Amino acid sequence: MKNSFDEKILEEAHDWVKANQKVVLATVIQTWGSSPRQVGSRMIVNEKGDFSGSVSGGCVESAVVRECIGLIKDNKPCKKIEFKVSNESAWEVGLACGGEIAVYLEQVN
Amino acid sequence: MKLQTLKSIIEKKKNKSEFAIITNLTTGESEIFEKNKQLSKEMETYSSQIEEFFKSKKNGVIENTEIFVETYVLPIKVIVVGAVHIAQYLVDFAKSLNFEISIIDPRGYFASEQRFPDMKIINKWPDEAFKEIETNENTALVALTHDPKIDDPALQHAIKKKFYYIGALGSKKTHENRCQRLKEAGFSDEQINSIHGPIGIKLGGRSAPEIALSIIAQLVSETYNRK
Repeated sequence: MKNSFDEKILEEAHDWVKANQKVVLATVIQTWGSSPRQVGSRMIVNEKGDFSGSVSGGCVESAVVRECIGLIKDNKPCKKIEFKVSNESAWEVGLACGGEIAVYLEQVN
Repeated sequence: MKLQTLKSIIEKKKNKSEFAIITNLTTGESEIFEKNKQLSKEMETYSSQIEEFFKSKKNGVIENTEIFVETYVLPIKVIVVGAVHIAQYLVDFAKSLNFEISIIDPRGYFASEQRFPDMKIINKWPDEAFKEIETNENTALVALTHDPKIDDPALQHAIKKKFYYIGALGSKKTHENRCQRLKEAGFSDEQINSIHGPIGIKLGGRSAPEIALSIIAQLVSETYNRK
C-alpha cells in the first residue's frame, strides 16, 4: 500500500522544464535490506546541479546529482545506478543504513 | 520520460484518476496504464503483472524484466465540517499530504473565499452538502463546529456510510452529550464508539495549529490502520 504523502515532485519537474531547464528524474526502483526510502521515491536534478526531493536520507544524493549532470552532458536518455553499503572510507558514497538501492535516471525530453 | 508523458501524469493527478506509469528501463520509453486502456504491443506481454501491481497499489520492477511500474492512488477525501480557525491550519498541513479536503459550513461568513483561498467550500447544511459529495468507506470526516445542529447530521451520515475515520471536536463533556444524542437517534454503541472524540492524538497543545496537527496526525495514523 502506498503512503499518503504526495511529494508533487513531477509538478516541480514540469515547472523547471517550463523555465527552460534540463531536468533528470531520479527514481528509486528497487531496494534491498533496510533502505531509507521506498520504491517510487524521487528527486529531480537540473544541469546546474540544483535538486529537489530525495532518494535516500541524504546518503547518496550528491552522487546522484553528479550522475544526473553527467547524463545531461553526455545527452543520454537514461541510466541505472546502484548504491550499496558504505565502508570505512569517508569519501566513498554509500548507504550507512546497510541497505541497497537501485536508482533510475531519465531525462525529460 | 517524454515531456508529453510528464504533462499527462500531472493532468491525471489533477483530475483525480487512478493510473500507473510503466517504464522500460532499457530503452527509457514509458507509457501510462489505466483500467480498460489498451497497452502498447511491447507492454501488452506484461499486462497481467502490471495489473497485479496496479491492484495492490505497489511500485516495483516486474520480476526478471526491466519493466518498472509506478502506481498512483487517489487522494483520500476528507470532509471538514466547520470553516473554523483549526480548519485553516488543517488545509495548510494537508497540502503536503495526499488528502483532498472539502469544507462544509452553512455559515457564509465562516466559509468565505478570503479565509480559504482555492478551497472547495460547500456553503450548505450537511444533509444538503452530502448530496454533492460522493462518500464511502475511504472517506474521512472531521467535525469541528461542536454545534449539534451542524455536526450531528454530518456524523450520522459518516456513521451510516462507514467512513474509515470520524473525529469530532469538543471536550469530554461535549462528547458525552453527543454520544447520548446519537444513542437516542438509534445508533449502536459500536457505531458511536467509532467516533474519535475528543478528536486528535494527545500532544498537549491547545492552539489552533496544534489541534490541527494532532488531528492530522491521527488521520494519517488511522489511514495506515485501515483494512
